[in-house]
Amino acid sequence: MTPPSLDDDLQDAVLAALGTEHAAIWCYGLVSAYLPTVSAADLAATAQAHRERRDAVVALLARRGVTAPPAAAAYRPPSPVTDATSAATLAIVAEDDVAAAWRAVAERTSADEDAELRHLALDAVTAATTTSVVWRRVAGRSPLVPAFPGAGAGA
Amino acid sequence: MVAVESPAADAAPTPGTPRRTVLRGAGTVALLAGLAGLAGVGCARAPEGPDELEAPLAAARADVATAAAAVAAFSDLADRLTPLADARRAHAEALAAEIRRARPERAPAVDAAPAAPAAPPASAAAAVTALRGSLAAARDGAGALALTTEPHRCGLLISVAAACAGYVTVLA
Repeated sequence: MTPPSLDDDLQDAVLAALGTEHAAIWCYGLVSAYLPTVSAADLAATAQAHRERRDAVVALLARRGVTAPPAAAAYRPPSPVTDATSAATLAIVAEDDVAAAWRAVAERTSADEDAELRHLALDAVTAATTTSVVWRRVAGRSPLVPAFPGAGAGA
Repeated sequence: MVAVESPAADAAPTPGTPRRTVLRGAGTVALLAGLAGLAGVGCARAPEGPDELEAPLAAARADVATAAAAVAAFSDLADRLTPLADARRAHAEALAAEIRRARPERAPAVDAAPAAPAAPPASAAAAVTALRGSLAAARDGAGALALTTEPHRCGLLISVAAACAGYVTVLA
């Protein structure tokens, strides 16, 4: 049996979240060379978590008859990556994008019909928050944790 | 945000707009859900008993009190614990505001329940360990509630759970 299709608003939010996962995977490929103080294994695990969530979303969309768009060939960081601080800053942006997009997904889900998406959203926002503690430390940011991850700047 | 490099931007969200657009949309959904929630009071949700958000509210207030007691006893914890206390205070305010909005009759209970002052911790390490434990419990509690609640509350609870998880990491 094919699960019912997602309503347009929720599907748009899921596609936006998938886009942030693609972007995060790309960003980790770029920043890893600039973060010598962070273990390669930790970086690989972080990127792998984004890949697994990307794959889960692609599979979920496929079950609903939606072909997920592929990643873009390249992304444009908001500022150049030249050292550890700017690399960590880009990783923070990528994780904040992921958190915001997934919180937006969560707000469009029904507890009964979209349980898998809610689980993914909770995991995504939580992982983005715990992961970016490391990047905020490297970049010298304070606080290390936003009060409302995913709710946007100033929240 | 991280923008897609053009010219591939056609199929993907346009640089500079997605998050704001998404958040504006989220506000609309929250408003509609809120109106639906108001209309549904008395049938969809039990009108009696505590609101489901009163537990995470109490947890947030307790963490503020615990952090304050720890900083009062061990001032060198201030740098680590003050941002945490600020975040948990913000959580308490947001949760209380949502309860007052959805369940006005619970406002007296929400407003009249200051957290009990926390006992001074035996040591700085004991204070951090205790807070890490209560934050982990708050993370799990808010996360579990996020999976079952109404859509407009789900986002708030996910943010609360994620922030608690973040501070568990900070205190590790």
